[in-house]
Amino acid sequence: MNKLLDLRFVIGLFFTVVGLMLLVFSLTSATVHSPVNTWSGIVFTIFGVLMIILSFQKDANDELLDENPNRNTGH
Amino acid sequence: MQLGAIDYSIIAIYFLFVVSIGFLLKRKVKTGNDFLMSNRSIPLWITSLAFISANLGAQEVLGMAASGAKYGLYTTHFYWLGAAFAMIFLGIYMMPFYYGSKARSVPEYLKLRFDEKTRTFNAITFAIMTVFSSGISLYALAMLMQTILGWDFNVSIWLAASIVLVYTYMGGLTSAVYNEVLQFFLIVLGIAPLVYLGMHQAGGWSGIVHNVENAKLHLWKGMGSASTNPMGVDGFSLVFGLGFVLAFGYWCTDFLVVQRAMISRSLNEARRTPIIAAVPKIFMPIIVIMPGIILLALQKTNTGFDLPTNVNGQVDYNMALPTLLQKLYPSGILGVGITALIASFMSGMAGNVTAFNTVWTFDIYQSHIKRNASEQHYLNVGKATTIVGILISVATAYVARQFNSIMDLLQLVFSFVNAPLFATFFLGMFWKRTSANGAFWGLLSGTGAAAITHGLTVAEGKGGWIANVHEFYSGTSQAFNIAGIAFIVCFIVTALVSMGSKPRPDSELFGLVYSLTPKQTDRAKRWYKNPLWLGVAVLIVTVILNIIFY
Repeated sequence: MNKLLDLRFVIGLFFTVVGLMLLVFSLTSATVHSPVNTWSGIVFTIFGVLMIILSFQKDANDELLDENPNRNTGH
Repeated sequence: MQLGAIDYSIIAIYFLFVVSIGFLLKRKVKTGNDFLMSNRSIPLWITSLAFISANLGAQEVLGMAASGAKYGLYTTHFYWLGAAFAMIFLGIYMMPFYYGSKARSVPEYLKLRFDEKTRTFNAITFAIMTVFSSGISLYALAMLMQTILGWDFNVSIWLAASIVLVYTYMGGLTSAVYNEVLQFFLIVLGIAPLVYLGMHQAGGWSGIVHNVENAKLHLWKGMGSASTNPMGVDGFSLVFGLGFVLAFGYWCTDFLVVQRAMISRSLNEARRTPIIAAVPKIFMPIIVIMPGIILLALQKTNTGFDLPTNVNGQVDYNMALPTLLQKLYPSGILGVGITALIASFMSGMAGNVTAFNTVWTFDIYQSHIKRNASEQHYLNVGKATTIVGILISVATAYVARQFNSIMDLLQLVFSFVNAPLFATFFLGMFWKRTSANGAFWGLLSGTGAAAITHGLTVAEGKGGWIANVHEFYSGTSQAFNIAGIAFIVCFIVTALVSMGSKPRPDSELFGLVYSLTPKQTDRAKRWYKNPLWLGVAVLIVTVILNIIFY
């Protein structure tokens, strides 16, 4: 359940689903084959999977955070 | 434009995800602070992307493509001059006061620095402005869907409003922010293929240079006079009006965007939020302006790319992006492009509603109606305000449909209120002598000066309702000059009244004024964790881009 609260996981899941939909559609569509759907599907899926992988690396969430976030509060 | 089953499926999946985010975040919302301020617990990468996304509403996505077609590369001034510098200034100099003072909103900072009446004036105007902006966003969504897809106006209004209501009511500000980040990726990844396809069809950059008139492919060329560039603006009005007054007024004082930095986990992250957001911001013209320029090239080399006319018989530049979507996207990716547009409308609406919530609850309700109530009480007020805000937005959308000129008038009045605001903040933060009365009368006189300037000048047939003393070359030039005059009047009146009134003692201004606040000591070892060096790096890139596209 906690994983679903991780925005990287949610974004990754969304783009993986949409990417796979575009891929399946471009491969099965009866109309003229459209490379833009195929390529977009591939890019979306790769981006989605990368976001999901990132969400499993807990430290990655804090990567941009200072070692001690309150160190530079100044006041 | 005809959508297929795959396109509708993608739109439905997006709706499912945004609503699910609201439901998932619901259990994290226990207090009014959680609902309205995200308990200051949002990571830096999210606050940064939300900061830029809060400004990436539909008016931005459609409007910048339209300006790209109308003014060409000159539109980029809204990013490289009218955004980057102000965002860096906010991060380096102003965030320490907003975040360090523990103010929960921009109006609350005004209360801490000045007094209750200045806060209330700002809170009421901001609350009215945001809720009407939300309604106008909803109206624009419904009109666009009706025009390009043939969807029913009422269905579009109520469907979009219901979805925004569900996820903001459930998850509050955090939910709105999470959806803004999802929207950011959706817009970038959903429109990037359009830019690629358009560039490819136009013959690449060389094809654009060959087919688009040279006057539209520069940033600064012809800025010596309003008559020698497509924007109809002279260099001074551009730099002072847009680059200083409007840019700093919006990015440094508008609570809708500043709120995204104020919910960071630490002061260091709050300061870096707008600076990191400036990085995608300076490259955003590729996604939002290039489509308009590509359209110009395609109009020369292809048929079917002409823009329709509006009810006044003028070219409807707002249709630039929808026209490209229709002509270049096949079913499938078309669903992603349409979803990106819908997302930008809904996200713009949610951003306004959540900012309205916070200001209403903290700066009006808690301040004037019921003080010292429980956290649960303010949570309930925040949630009730969400419903009311959405209902007012829906009502506004219907009013806009019937009386479009009233909406134009309201937006004009709001611009008068916004124009002088940065002068008040600038003096308040950097001159300890600035008094509460000075700030209040400065704001009022600046607003009045903006209205009078509009009444005495004309541009493109607008303004001059008092007398026609001066005619500007374009509406854009008129807007920049009105802002400049409002700023100067507010600045002078604030300074004069402050010198004639009793200042607050230094002890009460600790942490609120630059000279009475300990300087920030950024000891981060890496340059990208230091707001100052990060800001300098972004500044250098922005200047280089200005030079390249001179």
